[in-house]
Amino acid sequence: MTGKFRAVLYTQWKWSRLVIVLGTIAALAIPVISIQGAARADRGALEAQELLRAVQSWGTLYPLLATALGLLVAVAAWAADHRGRHIHALTLPLPRWQYVLLRFGAGMLLLSFPIIAVLLGATLAALSATLPPGLHAYPIALAVRFAFAVVVAFAVFFAVSSGTARTAGIILGVIAAVILAQVIVSMTGIDFDLFGQLQVLLLAGPGPLAVFTGRWMLVDV
Amino acid sequence: MTHAIAIDRLHYRVGTAFEIRDLDLHVPAGSIYGFLGPNGSGKTTTIRLILGLLRPLSGRITVLGDAMPEQHARVLSRVGYVPEQPHLDVTLTVGELIDFQRAFYTRWDQHRAAELLAAFELDRDRLFGRLSKGQKAKLMILLALAQCGDLLVLDEPTDGLDPVVRRDILRALMAYVSERGATIFISSHLVHELERVCDWVAVMDNGRLITASPMEKFKHGIKRLVVTGAPRDIVDPPFRILAREAANGAGESWVVGDWDPAMQSYIERLGAAVREVIDLDLEDGFVELLRSFRGVSR
Repeated sequence: MTGKFRAVLYTQWKWSRLVIVLGTIAALAIPVISIQGAARADRGALEAQELLRAVQSWGTLYPLLATALGLLVAVAAWAADHRGRHIHALTLPLPRWQYVLLRFGAGMLLLSFPIIAVLLGATLAALSATLPPGLHAYPIALAVRFAFAVVVAFAVFFAVSSGTARTAGIILGVIAAVILAQVIVSMTGIDFDLFGQLQVLLLAGPGPLAVFTGRWMLVDV
Repeated sequence: MTHAIAIDRLHYRVGTAFEIRDLDLHVPAGSIYGFLGPNGSGKTTTIRLILGLLRPLSGRITVLGDAMPEQHARVLSRVGYVPEQPHLDVTLTVGELIDFQRAFYTRWDQHRAAELLAAFELDRDRLFGRLSKGQKAKLMILLALAQCGDLLVLDEPTDGLDPVVRRDILRALMAYVSERGATIFISSHLVHELERVCDWVAVMDNGRLITASPMEKFKHGIKRLVVTGAPRDIVDPPFRILAREAANGAGESWVVGDWDPAMQSYIERLGAAVREVIDLDLEDGFVELLRSFRGVSR
């Protein structure tokens, strides 16, 4: 199984290495830049607020980066199989669930590089900065959260992009049905916000996409 | 195991346009089995059913003694497959594709792969997408042969290739069979090519198997007869009349299947005379068989 995994990993590395390298550089740079020059012990309370604002605004990049990495690596994992109409994969001598697992595992292993980069970058930033009193750095918590976000994004996009055109059609159909239902509800004058409900269901805790929302703070009180 | 592939009462349907009905096909182990049929006759669909890529509605498929698609992983470890269209990733090099394939087959023969790589003059560092059509076909044959399977399933492997490449590929296949005693199931509509290499032949049209027999029997069983004085109605002949039409000059021209010289006496008993018995090559026999089948099913 190790040989098979190595073979799958190599192909996925070849297909997504640019994304992984750029993503890793970005993941390393964002935490360092986010507090660069802003963190000094001689700052007053107002300036500490400024630091938190800077960290918060840079923090919006983490979920974006996690989503982009998850999407691009997931799409790359299946693109070649789609081009070959899955014939090659389906004629390999292993159960199909194992093949999917190999592709998923290889993608996750590649994504561990930007996750580790966030941990390293955040730790480096926390160690190099002298924070004003009352503020603390949370590099491990940030990296763990980033890891969760990457896993969720990759899993969702991996599942979607593994499917056929029919699967994509079903997903679009569900979205269309939701829009249609909202339009009908609005026309009948019923006070019910379907989009709002869905948003709460998906994005508010403990929704499956809740990890992407809220504040991503390397430094906080 | 007497049959490398055994298909019994297979039924498969795609929408309402195409259907394979009651397909029975038995490929003897160790044979080179030609699977003939015009485009759209169901050859590729049958191959995909054999490989477990499609699920039949009913019927039973056994490949190398194991049920398909239930045992597909076990079966596919012993089957080399070359599809009709190149299916490999265009962004990988020849060497990378060989290394990838090698990881999945326990019987992989690296020595054979290296030999074929040299024989086919393939560059390890060249991207698959940059290979010519002939080179792609050669690489796919290389991968199928280096797996050292007991069965090779080839779906029109030489379609659209020049004669030199075709000959190289067929030579490699023949060498493999003589060395390993493997079974080859090869679909094509290049009749002359199959005639040269196959010892069994099956003909399919419109999702139905028209005939399946040893190549020699098929070739020698189909004749064109020039007959004079034949009555209009012929009841229960010992041969199959595939076509019957007026010949130039006197008499009629018949194309018959399952012919044996001893059957000439049957025609004479009808008060007719066989003026000439003409051998047909596989292509003529194939065309007459198809024409007859389509006439009956219309």
